[in-house]
Amino acid sequence: MAKQTFTTGQVLTAAQMTSLQQTAMLGGAASAKTASYTLVAADAGTAISMSNVSATTITVNTALFAAGDTVQITNLGAGVCTITAGTATVNTSASLALAQYESGTLYFTSTSAAIFIKGAGAAAASGGMTLINSGGTTLTGASVSISSIPATYNNLQLWVLNFKPANDGENLSVRFNDDSSSVYKNETGTGTNMNMNNDRLYMSRGQDNTVAQGFSYLEIWNYANTTSWRVSQITAWGNNETTSTNGNWLDYAGVYASTGTAINKITILPTGGNFTSGTAYLYGVK
Amino acid sequence: MSKTTPQIKEVNCETGEEIVRDATSAEIAQMEIDKANEAARKAEEESKATAKAALLSKLGITAEEAVLLLS
Repeated sequence: MAKQTFTTGQVLTAAQMTSLQQTAMLGGAASAKTASYTLVAADAGTAISMSNVSATTITVNTALFAAGDTVQITNLGAGVCTITAGTATVNTSASLALAQYESGTLYFTSTSAAIFIKGAGAAAASGGMTLINSGGTTLTGASVSISSIPATYNNLQLWVLNFKPANDGENLSVRFNDDSSSVYKNETGTGTNMNMNNDRLYMSRGQDNTVAQGFSYLEIWNYANTTSWRVSQITAWGNNETTSTNGNWLDYAGVYASTGTAINKITILPTGGNFTSGTAYLYGVK
Repeated sequence: MSKTTPQIKEVNCETGEEIVRDATSAEIAQMEIDKANEAARKAEEESKATAKAALLSKLGITAEEAVLLLS
């Protein structure tokens, strides 16, 4: 509920009391924004959420708020939301930029100045993970590509749940940056003098085309570096194509023996035919 | 019977845009190469499995016994 001045004899409605209670308990619905926004006086004491895949701003101007007013701001979108000093002054001990799922509070110390107190968020700090393809991606057709992967993480993790190929026994596989040349290798244990004779990394060892309960995991370390081979770990269990209650398993050390370009695109494809189903989640790891 | 064009799904992480389109002729050509390569790979795997089974049979031991022997 927006801040207001109550008058003697004013009758509060049940809805107003509920809203006041929510505000007092630090709850209540946030005012949802989907584009850059300039705060107005009615935002005092309220919560604002921003959701946009691209960068946005929340602008703070003078002569709208009083000392002691607060505005809670939460960024739900993949694009960074930055608190921007318009005509007002905004100080912070942290950053004015909110990554996805980060939040902070503007606390006004006067009509022309505010402090931004940034809270802990779910976005990737050191050791954290961020879902890059928001909501996950359903696997359909002959291949699925996830592109414009930001180079801002240390590692990438690709999780594929319940992969089901149209053709019985096909494998799940991936390629990077549209590279279909023989620069990949999947191996177990140790090896020397290995020939890079794979044109993809494999993420399953066959999969039944009627029952899909498997999970495939790929982690690519240092994916954005351009001077060394990109090494990965791949672990997967899936339903055996003959006896679906039995499992097919793999545990590979994979390599993409190519340099020069950060991995910014991952193409997921079955070894033949189409996907029937499955969901891919791409995480950035810091 | 009509032949359908393979479908390609593309997701852009930056914009959130998700599209499904027909495969291009270059992509279809790559699929044919992939198909041949996969057939060759599977044939090689099967050949190795057959040779392994023949060797085990010749030695008169099971795969588990062979693993035990080499451990």
